[in-house]
Amino acid sequence: MSTNSLDIESDKNDYKDDNENISMDYSIKHPLQNCWTLWYYENDRNQSWEKNQREIASFETIEDFWSLYNHIKPASDLKQGTDYSLFKKGIRPMWEDDANKRGGRWLISLEKKQRNNDLDRYWLDIILCLIGEAFDNSEDICGAVVNIRYKGDKIGVWTADATKGAAVMEIGKKLKDRLHIPPRVTIGYEIHKDTMDKTGSSSRYSYNV
Amino acid sequence: MSVSPIARQIASPQAIPIRKVLVTDASELPNYYSQTPGGTLYSTTPGGTKIVYERNFLLNLRNSPISNTPPRCEIPEVLQRGAGSPPKKVHNNQLPKRNKIPPRSRNDSYNSRNNTEDEQFQIDL
Repeated sequence: MSTNSLDIESDKNDYKDDNENISMDYSIKHPLQNCWTLWYYENDRNQSWEKNQREIASFETIEDFWSLYNHIKPASDLKQGTDYSLFKKGIRPMWEDDANKRGGRWLISLEKKQRNNDLDRYWLDIILCLIGEAFDNSEDICGAVVNIRYKGDKIGVWTADATKGAAVMEIGKKLKDRLHIPPRVTIGYEIHKDTMDKTGSSSRYSYNV
Repeated sequence: MSVSPIARQIASPQAIPIRKVLVTDASELPNYYSQTPGGTLYSTTPGGTKIVYERNFLLNLRNSPISNTPPRCEIPEVLQRGAGSPPKKVHNNQLPKRNKIPPRSRNDSYNSRNNTEDEQFQIDL
């Protein structure tokens, strides 16, 4: 049984009332504020890390997003050790990129069992926040990454400037709210530079919500 | 003519933001008659213009016929939904089916990826 369809079912119930009020125009494509690029990372030791990041597709309408999403595997079906990344076009999914190097990420670490329960829902909801420009400070958003890992999957939402505390906090709070992460669970924000300098001790977060 | 106190509270008055743009040369004028110098007047909202979509709106468009057409670009085989089987040519409504998904009812409003013939004719034209 695919958990993906289960989650969508339950989501649907939550939002049933709202859905009834929307009349959809299927005849046009709806433009997005930004053009977004989907990347896929697969670890191949014969190639550099950078070369293992493959650009899959870019889209700038809602319909083109769905046509891509509907035809690719959900995150929970990917192999261990792979990533999906979704970034604004022109930003590479790596710390070194000019758009990222002063930034950081809100990090959601999932427990193993959450791959079946929450992973796909979180990832899709994050994508919808990104492409729908849900954050007040959406110009500070660079992209998001989901890491599929044996020891526990991770999702990061990358922002451009770690020193912009108010913007970072607004994004973190909305993220937690939109994903329905319970209040007892804390998520932290890591500055990329800290992560690069101190491999191993990753317990220091610059912000928490 | 009275506005309920609640409505007044919600709609607290705010000044309309005004921006003055000084045009010194004809080259600074926009190319289109529908635009005003310094940006298009009516589409400018406080804090700048941004195309924002609500979650439900985005989810509803998952049903759109356009959203179900195969993407323009080539999807690597490892990423194709329902992969494991050899890559297929996708014809008409024959979208790759995901494993183990039970058939959906027609009332399943926003996840009917595998459209049946019937559904296509439900669109009001």
